Amino acid sequence: MLFGFCALLVLMAVLAFDSFHALNELETSSAAVRQDYLNRERTLRDIRFSLYESGNVLREYFLAKPVPAARESYLKQIHDLRDHAGASLESCLHSLPRDQSGAFQKLDAELSSYWLLADRIFLVDPTESNSLSLRNLALTQRASVLSLTGEVSDINELDFRQAEAQISLVFAETRHRIRLVGISALSLGLLLAASTILYLVHLERLAREKYEETLRSQNELKELSKRLVDAQEQERRAISRELHDQVGQSLTALLMDLQNLSDTPPPTSALASGLQRIKLLAEECVDEVRNMALLLRPSMLDDLGLTAALEWQGREVSKRTGLVVDVIDDEFTDNLPEEHRTCVYRVVQEALHNCVKHAHAHRVRIVVQEEEQHLVLSIEDDGIGFDPRRHRGMGFLGMHERVTRLGGNLTVDSLPGHGTRVRVELPLTSSPIPQGVQS
Amino acid sequence: MRKLRILLADDHSVMRSGLRALLERQTNLEVIGEADNGRDAVSLSSSLSPDVVVMDVAMPLLNGIEATKSILKQSPSTNIVMLSMHSDESYVMRSLNAGARGYLLKDSAAAELLSALDAVSHGKSFFSSAVRRLLAEDYIRVLRQKGIVDSYDLLTAREREILQLLAEGKTNKEVAADLNISPYTVETHRAHILEKLGLHTPAELILYAVRKGIIH
Repeated sequence: MLFGFCALLVLMAVLAFDSFHALNELETSSAAVRQDYLNRERTLRDIRFSLYESGNVLREYFLAKPVPAARESYLKQIHDLRDHAGASLESCLHSLPRDQSGAFQKLDAELSSYWLLADRIFLVDPTESNSLSLRNLALTQRASVLSLTGEVSDINELDFRQAEAQISLVFAETRHRIRLVGISALSLGLLLAASTILYLVHLERLAREKYEETLRSQNELKELSKRLVDAQEQERRAISRELHDQVGQSLTALLMDLQNLSDTPPPTSALASGLQRIKLLAEECVDEVRNMALLLRPSMLDDLGLTAALEWQGREVSKRTGLVVDVIDDEFTDNLPEEHRTCVYRVVQEALHNCVKHAHAHRVRIVVQEEEQHLVLSIEDDGIGFDPRRHRGMGFLGMHERVTRLGGNLTVDSLPGHGTRVRVELPLTSSPIPQGVQS
Repeated sequence: MRKLRILLADDHSVMRSGLRALLERQTNLEVIGEADNGRDAVSLSSSLSPDVVVMDVAMPLLNGIEATKSILKQSPSTNIVMLSMHSDESYVMRSLNAGARGYLLKDSAAAELLSALDAVSHGKSFFSSAVRRLLAEDYIRVLRQKGIVDSYDLLTAREREILQLLAEGKTNKEVAADLNISPYTVETHRAHILEKLGLHTPAELILYAVRKGIIH
C-alpha cells in the first residue's frame, strides 16, 4: 500500500516534470526556428534593398556622367551598399542549416561578382562605349542575383514549414506521452483507491469483530464472576451449615451422652477423670466448629436477618481488634431478599476489614436504612483515608461487583487524613421475603 | 406432685434423643412430645399444652424465635427455654423479645437443662453461665471502648431491688406483693429505672440485669 502510494507520487512528479520540460523545449525550438527564418528573410531583404539601391546609384551615375573627381561619391555609395549587404549575409551564413548553406553560398558568390562588376564600371569613363556594356552586364548580373534571392527565400520558407511540421510532430508525440503517463497514473490511483477502500472495509470489519468479541468476553467474564461469587457464597453456606448442623450437633449430643455417663457413678476415678477430659475436648471442638461456621457465613444472616448479622459482626470485630463499631439500624425493617442480605453483609465485612487492616481507624459507624425503595448503607471510619482515584484494591472491586450485580451503586469517598466513607444504594424492587422463615 | 410436662422441639434427632435420655431419668418431669420443625412445635404445643417447651432456635419451616412468638400468642403462660448453638447477644436479645424465659446453650444443655427447666417453671429467667459471662464481658468492653459511664449508680436502693425482681421474671403485681407496696408504685419505679438506664423493653431490662450480673 505504502509502496503503491510512493509509486503514484513519483509517477505524478515525473509526469509534471516531463510535461513541463517537453513544453519548454518545444517552445524554445519553435521560437528558434521562427527567429532563424526571420533572420534569413531580413538578410534577403537587405540584399534586395542593396541591389535596388545600387541600381539606382548606377542609373544616376550614368545620367549625371560626372567628372572623375565626382565619381568617388557614387563609388562610396555603392561600397556602403555592398558592405551593408555583406555584413548582413556574413552574420546569416554563421547560423545556416546544412541544407541551405549551398544556396546562400551561391548567392554570396553571385553577389560578389555583381559588386566586382559594379566596381569596374567606375574604373571606366561613363561616356565610353564599353562602360555602357559593363553597365548592362552589371544589370544582368543584378537581375540574376535578385532572382536568386527569390529562390533562396522560397527554400527558406520551405525549410521553415518543415521545421514547423517537425515541431508539431514532436508536440503531438509529447501530448501522446503525457496522455499515456496521465492515464497510467490515473489507473494506478484508482487501483490504489479501490484497494485502500477494500483494505479499510476489511480493517473496519476486523475492528468490529474484535470489539464484539471483547464485549462478549467481558459479558462472559461478568457472568463468570457472578457465578463465582454465587458459588462461593453457596459453598460457604453449605459448609457452614454442615459444620453447624452435623458436626456441631453431633458433638453436642456426644456431650450430652458424656453427661449421662458421668451422672451414673463410675467404677473408678481414672474413668471419671477420662470422661472429664473427653468432655473438655468435646467442648473445645464445639467452640471451634461454631466459630468456623460463623466465619464462613454467620447463621444469624439466615436465622435472624441482616441487622442481627451486622450487629454480631460489629461485636466480633470490636472484640478482636478494639475498633469501636456502631451499628445503626433502628429504621430498618430487615426483610430483604437473601441476595441483598448477603451483599450488604459481605460489603460491610470487607469495609470493616479495610478499616482494621488499612485505615487504622478507631471508630466506625455503620448505618442501614431504607429510603424510597432503596436500601442505603453507609460505612464511615475515622481512619487515615486514602486517594480513591489511585488506590482501589481487590476488596473494593469485589464490593463493587456485588453491588452492581444487584443494580445498585457503590461510592467511596476518602481523602488522606480524613477517613473513608463507603456508600451503597441498592434498589429494592424485588418482592421481599418474610423474615425468619428458613428456606 | 404433678409432673412437669415438656415438649422438645429440635430438628436434629440425635439432639432430641440425647435430651430425652437426660430428662427421662428424672422422676418429676415427662417428655410429652417432640417436634422437628417450628410449625409442628406450634401445633403440638397448642394440642398438648406443655408446661415448658425446649425450643431450638434454628429449625426448618419456622425458626424457634417465630415459633415462640406464635405459641405465646396462643397461650401466654407457656414457658419457653431456647436451645441454641450461639451465645451471641443477637440470638439472646431476639429470644427474649419473642418472650422466651430461658436461654440455654446446647453444649452446656446436659449440665444446665434441669436448672433451666426448674427456673422457668417457677416463672424465673434462666441463662447459660457462658451466655451470662459473655454478655457481662461485652457490656464492660463496650462501656470501656465508648467511654460511657454505667448509670447503675444513679439507681436508688429501692429501684435496684425492684430491677432485680423484675429481671427475675416477676410481674409488677408479684413485686408489689414481695415488697408490700402498691403495683402502681412498682410501675412508677419501673418507668424510672428504664429511663435512667436508657432501656425500652422488658427484654432489654432482663439483658441489662444479666450483663450486670444482677441475676443468675
